[in-house]
Amino acid sequence: MDLGNNLDLLTVTFYGTAIALVLIGLYAALVKRSLIKVVIGLSIVDSGIHLLLVSIGYLKNGTAPIFSPAVIDKNPTMVDPVPQALVLTAIVIGFAVTAVALALVIRLYRHHKTVNIDEIKNLKW
Amino acid sequence: MVGSPVQLIAIPLLAAFLMPLLGKAWKELVRLTPGVVLLYLLYLSVDLLSYTIGHGRVVEVIAGWTPPWGINLVFSPFSGFLATLMLFMGLLVWIYSYRFQPFEDYDDYEPTLKYYLLLMMLITASVGVVLTGDIFNLFVFIEILGITAYGLTAYYRGRDGAEASFKYLFIGSLSSTFLLLAIMIIYSQLGTLNMADIAVRAHELKPVYKISALVLFLVAFGIEAEMFPLNGWAPDAYSQAPAPVGAAFAGIVVKAGLYTVIRLIYTLFDVGGTYEFLIVMGLITMIIAEFAAFSQARLKRMLAYSSIGQMGLVLVAFGIGKEEGVYAALFLMFNHAIIKSLLFMSGSYLVYKSKNKYISELNGIGKMLPVTSFLFALGAFAIVGFPPFAGFWSKLAVLTAAADSGMILIIALILSISLIEVVYYLRVVNRIYFVKRDTDLEITKPTPQAMLSMLVLGAIILVVGFYPDVITGILHKASATLLDKGSYINDVLSLSQTIN
Amino acid sequence: MNIIHITLGILLGGAVLTYFANKISGIVRDLVFISSIVVAAVLFFIKMTPDTVATFNLGGITLALGMNHFGLLFSIIILGLAVLAGFYSLPYMKGKDNLGFFYMNYLLSIFGMMGIVMAKDLVTFFIFWEIMTWSSYLIVVYNGNNANKIGIKYIVFSALGAYSMLMAIVMVYSQLHSFAIADLAAGFTTMPAGYQIAIALLLMTGFAVKAAMMPLHVWAPDAYSNSPMSYTAMFSGALSKMGVYGLVIVFVTMVSHLPQNIWIRETIAWLGAITAVMGTLYAIFQDDAKRLLAYSSIAQLGYIITGVAIGTSEAMIAALMLAVLHGIFKANLFMVVGAVERQAGTTDLTVLTGLIRKMPWTFLSALIAVIALAGVPPLAGFVGKWMLYESLITNSNYILVIVIFFSSTAAFLYAYKILYGIFLGQEEPEYKDVKEAPALMVIPMLILSTLLLFLGTFPGYLFKYIDNALVVMGYPVSQNKWWEMSAIFNDWGNKVNLDLVAYAVLTVFITIAVILFYRWKNTRYVTTKDLSSCGEMPKDDENYSFKLDFYKPFERAISPLLKYKISKYYDEFADGMEAFFDWTRRIYNGNAQTYAIYVVTFLVILLLIANNIFSA
Repeated sequence: MDLGNNLDLLTVTFYGTAIALVLIGLYAALVKRSLIKVVIGLSIVDSGIHLLLVSIGYLKNGTAPIFSPAVIDKNPTMVDPVPQALVLTAIVIGFAVTAVALALVIRLYRHHKTVNIDEIKNLKW
Repeated sequence: MVGSPVQLIAIPLLAAFLMPLLGKAWKELVRLTPGVVLLYLLYLSVDLLSYTIGHGRVVEVIAGWTPPWGINLVFSPFSGFLATLMLFMGLLVWIYSYRFQPFEDYDDYEPTLKYYLLLMMLITASVGVVLTGDIFNLFVFIEILGITAYGLTAYYRGRDGAEASFKYLFIGSLSSTFLLLAIMIIYSQLGTLNMADIAVRAHELKPVYKISALVLFLVAFGIEAEMFPLNGWAPDAYSQAPAPVGAAFAGIVVKAGLYTVIRLIYTLFDVGGTYEFLIVMGLITMIIAEFAAFSQARLKRMLAYSSIGQMGLVLVAFGIGKEEGVYAALFLMFNHAIIKSLLFMSGSYLVYKSKNKYISELNGIGKMLPVTSFLFALGAFAIVGFPPFAGFWSKLAVLTAAADSGMILIIALILSISLIEVVYYLRVVNRIYFVKRDTDLEITKPTPQAMLSMLVLGAIILVVGFYPDVITGILHKASATLLDKGSYINDVLSLSQTIN
Repeated sequence: MNIIHITLGILLGGAVLTYFANKISGIVRDLVFISSIVVAAVLFFIKMTPDTVATFNLGGITLALGMNHFGLLFSIIILGLAVLAGFYSLPYMKGKDNLGFFYMNYLLSIFGMMGIVMAKDLVTFFIFWEIMTWSSYLIVVYNGNNANKIGIKYIVFSALGAYSMLMAIVMVYSQLHSFAIADLAAGFTTMPAGYQIAIALLLMTGFAVKAAMMPLHVWAPDAYSNSPMSYTAMFSGALSKMGVYGLVIVFVTMVSHLPQNIWIRETIAWLGAITAVMGTLYAIFQDDAKRLLAYSSIAQLGYIITGVAIGTSEAMIAALMLAVLHGIFKANLFMVVGAVERQAGTTDLTVLTGLIRKMPWTFLSALIAVIALAGVPPLAGFVGKWMLYESLITNSNYILVIVIFFSSTAAFLYAYKILYGIFLGQEEPEYKDVKEAPALMVIPMLILSTLLLFLGTFPGYLFKYIDNALVVMGYPVSQNKWWEMSAIFNDWGNKVNLDLVAYAVLTVFITIAVILFYRWKNTRYVTTKDLSSCGEMPKDDENYSFKLDFYKPFERAISPLLKYKISKYYDEFADGMEAFFDWTRRIYNGNAQTYAIYVVTFLVILLLIANNIFSA
């Protein structure tokens, strides 16, 4: 898919939103001091990437990628199924990672009585 | 050939998920299953390896979708060697951790189950990483590897495991983000996820996409391969994880990380400058890590930094390229797996009862734990490359490879860094044997099975040291395989030897 | 299977067996230990013929071992000392801890040294060199005194040397694609000029460390004095000669082909001479017999290095002669000091006194060794030094001669100090019960002393071996078989008959001795009370032989010279490096976000410069 030829409004919106999400997420993850916000930031980055990935497979007027005569006959342009499969997988993985991260945050809070990332520095140098 | 590559992944996955059920029947089964499974897989893998050495790669197609559409597994002398090494180390780690006392200290059986389950998944994912021929599949395995590794790092409740694990997770999710972005770029431009197919068609990519995908890949994989400055998580994770997990990190996980970088540079993309990049980053990684290791007060942290330093050296060796460089790098990886695991395993018993794991608490422990101390000292001697131990041959191989390419300054740098390594390792050995005991910390003798796995590793160090030819043949074969990109593409895409 | 396999096999197997025999009993361990040395040495000398070769194929590299007359000369030193010091060890080490470990490393270092002198290629050489290094390291720290300072100093310098050597080895490989020493010798001139110099200098660094040449000698005093004396006899006597062995090879096969030949030779010769002077001066002011001998070893190796560096056939003979003799007399002296340490409990020269009557045999042995060390005829040291002077003069190195002559004369001061400090002077009640060392310790010492007397009188027997050795190294066979007459010709055609000189001096000394003996035949045993005491009543428990600050005036005179201790600079450098390392690791500040920022920054920078470093 070539960015140059297909720059319609919808695509720009998709890509723009995705990039904005990634940047917002990165900002939260890198700058915010609360562990919870860091985890949220990481999730937002993930969402941005997922959105980006789905947008790649998107075709204008495409149908759901289902290989059945009923669908194909009606409209031969299907959206690319692979990115959707990838995103589904990535979402599951992202979910698992977030769950683990939150569990760790709870453990850290019990241990340190704080979620400030600057104060959780027992291991250094 | 008794089995196919897919069994190396399917069987342990199945076993891992069956383990909670098995545990309901008889709790001991939870402890025993991984061992039995790993033993069988090792047998399978060795058998496959000996077959591939004679007959070339085995490419396995999953679910009938042939490449470039479906997912395939490639068992070549190169990936097969790494998989076998991982399974072997996994088996030793299992032996070591069988009824490992800190695990038994938990009242309920739940943590034991979690440990073995995660360990199984860790090994499976690592094997998956090296065997898969599909880039998204690689991503999935890396994620499984990551999540299990986070869990294992945070295994001990009392320590700072959660902190280490969180750092690992934080950096790890950045890695997966970049990896996903890179995959996305590739897919959007080429419409394929198969590595061989990407390798064939990489020239179709516009330079801007190619370079940005490459950079994203490099950073993502560089995190797994502990490249500086992406390795902030590593020392914490190594030092906070339970001892067998530390050994598994050094012996298994980081090997998978390195593999990804190597596959990227040697197979996926043919981009000028990557080899030089590897050399430069490897040297920086090595220098910083060895500097940091030099004045560590804690044993495991020192070992962790040293491990990173070794990975830097491996990257340098891969960066040298050519058969000699790859051979040297594989030899280093092998030695590092064996030796560093031994150091983690024996070192953990040396500081067993200590709260802070300070090196200064090792004073005079040699008399109290003679065999463990001896094995640690053997590992220390081997890793700094004193002949006639295993580490010497890999160091010599790296240096001759570098000399062959005329990289005299790099040799000087590597040797100067080795000097630092000699000092900090021998300082520890001195404390163990030649400084009087001045703490009243109690000692704990290793369990017989832990001793067994350490002795096996020690024996390998000696055997490879005195007779390196036991390993050099397969290493040469593996390095030649890695370098022969054309036959990789050919074998995968034309499916000359496939198993359906 | 030939004698090379057998010798090395016995030594290696003996090392392992000794370690495990320790678990059975002390006697079994001692038996295994001593029999493996003796059997290896005896078999070696009976069976070994030059041109025996053994090869191993390991890791794609052919490791070759062989023997020639040059190696043979050094094997004699190694195995000879190993046997004697081995016997000496048995009573000396009795009752100490971890003897299995000690003897294992003792055998391993002999194994390493034998491998070195037999190595036919550089990798083999390096492997055995490293084995020798770490096994000797383990003995240096064996006592456990300050292991992290003394041991680390030793291993840092050794590793520095070894890694310079390794660097040179791979450089050779990169040029010649062969590790064989013969190929190196043959192909040296075909290499680019920069490589030639670099390889020669790097190899030299490696050897100079072991030969304790300034400024790489810093480890030596501590390492020599900290090892058990039965090993130091080997350490200083044989192990340091491995450096000399290597230097000879470097000078003969490499330096002589370099255009900068003269400069390198002059520099190393001067460094050797300075080493000799400084070593001697430091030795003079040591109050501990072990440290005194350690510095003396450094000084003596200085002469040898000078001789090797000058490199004329005469100088080489002198250097090798001195190397062999130094091996003998320094081993002898370390054994003496070890015996004193064992019997009297200390080696502090300010405390020890008057042991001559308690340990007469040890004294006799020490006397002979000290005379040999000082180079007084008719003992062997004289011959070596004379030849060194000759060769330097014929080579027009007049200033060098003066320097070396100065140091060699100053050596009398410490030679006397050690003799007087331990054996002469007033007898102290403290040492009333000191006995002579056991026979197993005395006999090896006496054998070495006898050897010194013998070689002093008949240096020709040694010349023969040295001459054969030098023929291997490409020097012409000495004219006229002069070893048989023990005479040398100098450039002006003068024939100097060394035996004649030796006997002339001997006659003078004997005459004086006889005159003294007959003139004062009413000699009697002098007690403390006979001292002139200015009206005070001397007491038994007061020491009237003042050995504290023995050479104070002299020390004051040359103190400006001693102000610059090289080790101080090394220490400062090490501290600086450590601080730097410590600073570096602060990159890992423990904050997960910082690490994440590193990652993102790295990614961004890489993306920005990607076009400059990667070419698609």
